[in-house]
Amino acid sequence: MEFEESWSQRIMRIDPSDYHYMKVCLEFEEHGIGLNAAQFKQLLVSALQELFGEVGAALPFDVLTYEEKTLKAILRVCNSGFVKLWSSLTMLGSYKGNKCAFRVIQVSPFLLALSGNSRELVLD
Amino acid sequence: MVRFKHRYLLCELVSDDPRCRLTLEDRVLVGLIRDTIARVHGTFGAAACSIGFAVRYLNAYTGIVLLRCRKEFYRLVWSALPFITYLESKGHRYPCFFNTLHVGGTIRTCQKFLIQYNRRQLLILLQNCTDEGEREAIQKSVAKSCLLEESSEEEGASDSGGEEAAEAMAS
Repeated sequence: MEFEESWSQRIMRIDPSDYHYMKVCLEFEEHGIGLNAAQFKQLLVSALQELFGEVGAALPFDVLTYEEKTLKAILRVCNSGFVKLWSSLTMLGSYKGNKCAFRVIQVSPFLLALSGNSRELVLD
Repeated sequence: MVRFKHRYLLCELVSDDPRCRLTLEDRVLVGLIRDTIARVHGTFGAAACSIGFAVRYLNAYTGIVLLRCRKEFYRLVWSALPFITYLESKGHRYPCFFNTLHVGGTIRTCQKFLIQYNRRQLLILLQNCTDEGEREAIQKSVAKSCLLEESSEEEGASDSGGEEAAEAMAS
């Protein structure tokens, strides 16, 4: 029996990325509340301000994509502010009197990783 | 080995109004700094800094304040000090600002620095002085503090007397 010698090579580069990307979803207790992109960002800034003050509210982060219907967004934040942003998302309780919560679906230092999420796969 | 480490911030209250320093009080200052930290660093900062926070020394004549805070969070307190712009008491608002002179690990190092600082300030006051009577008084206190410095170097003890003389004359 012949077998072919084959060798495989895996190149792994540890490329430190300066940013972390988060896929988050905002859930309200009641249905029918909508926010546009500017209001969404304002909500995040006010959450940071409540927990971390003026210095926290000045943390530079970006809302890369935002879907108004599902209230899902992809955020980008630099590594030093990552823990601050996630903890202020956790502590956010309400928007204009309506109870809400942030669900963090996926987090990765690479944006490409957010395109596939094995947790969202549905078994037929 | 296992103890809480602190940082002591030696600050000077600088203000145009001479009444501002006289209204400086323990409780007023604690409340003011706590509010400022809450504004600048939020609930996290307010909670983190208020655990080991205390005003250890206060001199209303020279405006020197010694603050104590935990070593892990002293940077939060330090960075909130420039945001204090006024001192409010009994309905009066006095614009002022805090100048941080020294950050030390113990009260003793801050005291040593304060003694040297006051000596230098006396010499500066001597240069800028216009009145003859004031000049004589300052020269006397400079001489006294120098004598005390020499005697303390011989004995090797810290001279709190020199500091008091210097502070009394620096008002």
